[in-house]
Amino acid sequence: MAFVLGIDVGSGYSKAVVCEDRSIRSFAVMPSGGDYKEIARTVATKALLEIGLSFNDVVYTVAAGYGAGMVDFADHSLTDISCHATGIHHLFPSVKTVIDVGAQFSRAIRLDNDGRIANFILNEKCAGGSGKFLQTIARILHMNVNEIGDLSLTATNPVEFTTACAVFAESEAVSRIAEGAAPADILAGLNKAMASKIITLVTRVSYAPDCALTGGGAKNRGLVKAIQEELSTTVLVADEPQITAAFGAALVAFERIQAR
Amino acid sequence: MSPYFAGIDIGSTMTKVVIMGDEIVASIIGPTGPEHRKLANKVIEEALIKAALSFEDLAYIVATGYGRINVPFADRQVTEITCHAKGIHHLLPKVKTIVDIGGQDSKGIKISNGKVTGFVMNDKCAAGTGRFLEIIADSLGVPLVKLGEISLTADKAAEISSTCTVFAEHEVINKLSGGESVANLVAGIHESVATRVYALVNKLKIEPEVAITGGGAKNIGLVKALEHKFGFPIVVPPEPLITGALGAALVGKEVYEKYASEGLVPTRSGHGLEEARLFS
Repeated sequence: MAFVLGIDVGSGYSKAVVCEDRSIRSFAVMPSGGDYKEIARTVATKALLEIGLSFNDVVYTVAAGYGAGMVDFADHSLTDISCHATGIHHLFPSVKTVIDVGAQFSRAIRLDNDGRIANFILNEKCAGGSGKFLQTIARILHMNVNEIGDLSLTATNPVEFTTACAVFAESEAVSRIAEGAAPADILAGLNKAMASKIITLVTRVSYAPDCALTGGGAKNRGLVKAIQEELSTTVLVADEPQITAAFGAALVAFERIQAR
Repeated sequence: MSPYFAGIDIGSTMTKVVIMGDEIVASIIGPTGPEHRKLANKVIEEALIKAALSFEDLAYIVATGYGRINVPFADRQVTEITCHAKGIHHLLPKVKTIVDIGGQDSKGIKISNGKVTGFVMNDKCAAGTGRFLEIIADSLGVPLVKLGEISLTADKAAEISSTCTVFAEHEVINKLSGGESVANLVAGIHESVATRVYALVNKLKIEPEVAITGGGAKNIGLVKALEHKFGFPIVVPPEPLITGALGAALVGKEVYEKYASEGLVPTRSGHGLEEARLFS
C-alpha cells in the first residue's frame, strides 16, 4: 500500500488527488490565482491534511495541466490530455470520446479500445465553448456560475442565440433581458449555444460512444443535457468531474512505483 | 423643385441618415438605441431640420442596415451590402473591393460597375470587428476615437497571440502590467484586427482600388495596418460612416427616376412620421 499524489494546475482551478494505490482517499480544488508554484503546494497540502497525511507520506507525485511545469515537488509531469484519458478510462472503461470543458479551454479527446489517445483537439482560440463563456454570463445575471445548470433546467421557452461568441452572446443576453426573457430561458439558450460550439470539436475527432464529460463545465447539468441532446445519447459524468485529470495523474504515479 | 431622397442606415451601433437631391444636402450620425422605431423618427427629423426640408419633400425613402425592418415610413428595405456598394461607387468609381468594419461585424464586398459581385461577412465572432477595439480600448482606459493616433506613436507593435476578444483582453492587461507601453499594445491590437479582416476579405479576390468604410475607417492606425497586409493603399472616403445611408438614398433616387421616366410615381409606404410614432 502506498500513497500517491496527482496534481492538475489548470488555468482556472488547481486540483489535488491523494490515492492509496488506485483508490481516491481525498481531494481538494482551489482557484489557481496568479502563483502556480504556491497554489500547487497549497492545494496538495489541503488534500493531504484532510486524511492526516503530510508530503513525507507521499511516495510519488505526478503533475499535469497548464501550470504543471511550476510544480517543483513533482517527480514527473504529463499533459492534462493524457491524464484525462487515464482518469476517464479507469472510471468508465467503455468511453471513447472525452469532452473536457475547462475554465479557458475546451477539448475533445478520442480514445481507442485500450484507453490510449487516438486523437485530440483543443479549442484555445475562442472562449465560446469554455468556462469563460459561462462566467461572463453568470456575471451579467448576477449569479454564481455553479447555479447556472439547475436554473437552466427550469426553462420553459429557451432563447435562441445567433452566436456562441462570448462577447456577442453577452450583448444578446442583455438585449433579451431588456425584452423581458426569463433568466432560466436565457441560460438554457446559452447552454445550447455552448453545446453546439463544443460539438464541432467532438465531430472533428470522429465521435464514437460512449462519451464522458469532464472539467468544471460537467458540473453544469444544463450543459450536460444540451450536449446529450446534440449527441442524441447519454453522456457519462463522474461524481467529481473536475478532478479527472488529477486522478489520472495519481493513477500514473501509482503505475510508476509499480514499475520500479 | 427637384425631388429629395432619404437613406437611413440603422447599424448595430450607429444610425446614419443622408438626404440628397442631386447632391447630399444633409447627413446625420448618431448612436443606435434599443428602440429603432422611435430612433428612426428622431434622426430623420433632425436631418430634415438640417436640410431645411419637411417630411413631405421626400419623394422616396430607403432603409438599410441591421435595423432596416424597423423603419415603418421607409418605402423600401435594401441590404447594407447593396447600399455600401452603391454609395462607394458614387463617391469613388474606381473602387473594386470594399472593406467594411462596423460596430459588430466586418465585411468584404466586391463590386463591378456599382453592382455587388461577391461578399463575405463575419458577424459570429467579435474578433476583427469594432467590438474588439471597443473592449480593448476600454480595458486600456483609452477612448475608442483616440486609438488611431495613439498607435502612430508606437515604436513596435506588441504581439497579441490570442484571437478571441476575451483572451486578448487578458493578454493585453497582462502585457500592460508587464511594462509594455499603451501605444505598442494599441498597435498590436490593430495588427490583430487587420489579420482577421484580411483573412476574411481574402476569401474574395482582392482587387484595387480598395476602399474602407464603417467606423473602423476612422482609425488611421487600423487603416495603416490593413494597408500593410493588403500590400497597397486603401482609400478612405471623406465620411466613411455614411456610405450605406448614401447608397440607400441613391437606390431611392434610382427607383424614383425609373418611374418618372415612364411618367409614373413609385408606390409609397403610406406611413408618415406621426403614424410611425403610434407604434413606439
